[in-house]
Amino acid sequence: MNKQYNILNDPFLYLLIFFGVFPFIPLLGKYLSLGTEMLIWILYSLSFNLLLGYTGLPSFGHGAFYGIGSYVTALVYLQFINNSKNIFLPVLAASLIVGMLAYFFGFIIRKKRGIYFALITVAFSQVLYIIAFKWTEVTGGELGITRLFRGQFLGIDLNNSTRYYYFVLIIVFLGSIIIRKITLSPFGKVLKALKQNETRVQYLGYNSAKYCCYVMTISGIFAGLCGGLYCLLYGAVFADNMHWVKSGDVVIATLLGGGMTNFYGPIVGSSIFVLAREILSSVWDNWMLLYGLAFVLIILFMPTGLLGMVERIKEKKHTEQFNNNNNKKKKDLEGIAHKEENK
Amino acid sequence: MNINIILVLLFNGVLLGLIYAVVSIGFSLVLGIGQVINFAHGLLFAFGAYIFWYISPIIGYWPAFIITPLIVGGMGYLIEKLVITRVYGQDPLFGLLVTLGISLAGTEIIRMIWGKLTKVVSTPGFAAGQVHFANIIYPKYRIALALISLIIILFVWWLMIRSNFGTIVKAGMTDSEMISALGHNLPVLRNRVFIIGSILAGMAGIVAAPLWGIKSEMGTDILMLAFTIALIGGLGSIKGTVIAALVIGIITSLGVLIIPRLVEAVPFILLIAVLFYKPKGLYGELTILGEVTAREK
Repeated sequence: MNKQYNILNDPFLYLLIFFGVFPFIPLLGKYLSLGTEMLIWILYSLSFNLLLGYTGLPSFGHGAFYGIGSYVTALVYLQFINNSKNIFLPVLAASLIVGMLAYFFGFIIRKKRGIYFALITVAFSQVLYIIAFKWTEVTGGELGITRLFRGQFLGIDLNNSTRYYYFVLIIVFLGSIIIRKITLSPFGKVLKALKQNETRVQYLGYNSAKYCCYVMTISGIFAGLCGGLYCLLYGAVFADNMHWVKSGDVVIATLLGGGMTNFYGPIVGSSIFVLAREILSSVWDNWMLLYGLAFVLIILFMPTGLLGMVERIKEKKHTEQFNNNNNKKKKDLEGIAHKEENK
Repeated sequence: MNINIILVLLFNGVLLGLIYAVVSIGFSLVLGIGQVINFAHGLLFAFGAYIFWYISPIIGYWPAFIITPLIVGGMGYLIEKLVITRVYGQDPLFGLLVTLGISLAGTEIIRMIWGKLTKVVSTPGFAAGQVHFANIIYPKYRIALALISLIIILFVWWLMIRSNFGTIVKAGMTDSEMISALGHNLPVLRNRVFIIGSILAGMAGIVAAPLWGIKSEMGTDILMLAFTIALIGGLGSIKGTVIAALVIGIITSLGVLIIPRLVEAVPFILLIAVLFYKPKGLYGELTILGEVTAREK
């Protein structure tokens, strides 16, 4: 069933082109940090969707991974890097440490599902948030950690916004490809099956708990990576990204685009989300009202998101066409039968 | 350690627990009968505080005390009719997300109307002053608030245990199809329970306002707490909820002596413990939140 891979059919090509020329788009291209944030959120929501959309595990504490990734990057940077200023180590450290935390966490809750899973993730992430908020000696508490500068990577100085944008683009691109490969692999297929009918998967011989633990780890690695990139984007870390209400941001971004049914959903959703958030918050102080309403409307009327709706429209057209063809054939056959009768 | 300080903290803890209990009971009832996790509950709590703060200077303390819960109950009615009815029967996660959205929008509305600064409620005349006993000086106002909360709790308890309505609700928690088949109007029942829950949240807001100040985040702040307490106490059990609320209130209050910075984390740590070891809670008979684990233990 494997079609020959045609690069022209691969959405990744077009996404890469789009984001590649983003800095040169008139008007919009000037806002490089916005574009960088969009990219970071794309990878973040893709990693989140591995849990929600693919495995059916609603993680409401993903902000904790993101936030810890940021903090680790900041702290490693301050502790070790002041001299060589190589950006690679802090970001790598963030991914690995958050990955370990995610594995530990994933192992503990590997057997929880549904609402209980969601609640435990909220509880854990909230405890971490409180620690981050109150442990002023390490995390700076309310004031956070600020005034970090980006170092260099392979000799290229990343303090320039454009260079950092392309750096992030490459990392996000590679990360997304890896996640795509994971979803298409046998491992990914088991995850999809888990979402639909876990008992059946277990009877097929798979240890579903292990799979849940592993997907949590993978998701955590990428979330930590994104947290690290985010920290370096703005040069500051604060605890509020770890609050459970903030974790809802990535949920809505994923659902908006159609994460429940489509791999590219989170990409669409988080791009729109980051863009809308920037535009709205600069125009209206109380934009959260629209945010909350959008939340409600999306859950009630569009839980499959934008790409889900697109798919449904396509399906409708498809069945319409199919029915039309059938009706045509029926009429032809009837016409022939009629002629037969009249002979 | 001064025994007086401990006693004062203990009383504070009991008061805290009583207020938590009022909020959590409302939350637990809605969860029990509708199988919906109402994240907008905290919002109603906040509205109770804000509306009371706003109208009590105009019409007086006690009139405001009566009218505010009615207004909040009305809000609850609207929320239930317009939104919640659409999510009954579905994955409880949907209800959670939808009500979270309502909560976010509503908090913003509060900010639009009343601004972002914390408000202060002044002590009304009838409860000013302090009480002296056992070497302690304790504000009369706090005792009054505790008594008010206690009366509210007793009333709800009476309603649930003794009245016809309560019996039907309890039956509805265990088997909603059955009471529907027996002729009771389930949607109306759910709506009424939701209104009761909203009124409870509003009243708790009124009581809590002078203690903690009034700020727009008070809704989301108390929400997870109410949820934790409802879960620990057991869904559908008023006794369990009250006990859990008192325990958490006292621990939070006394915990300031031992682990001042992590006190806020205590409810969440307890929540984790409960979800792992006793998902049904202390007294609950219902794990209506669906499958707990991949394989039933």
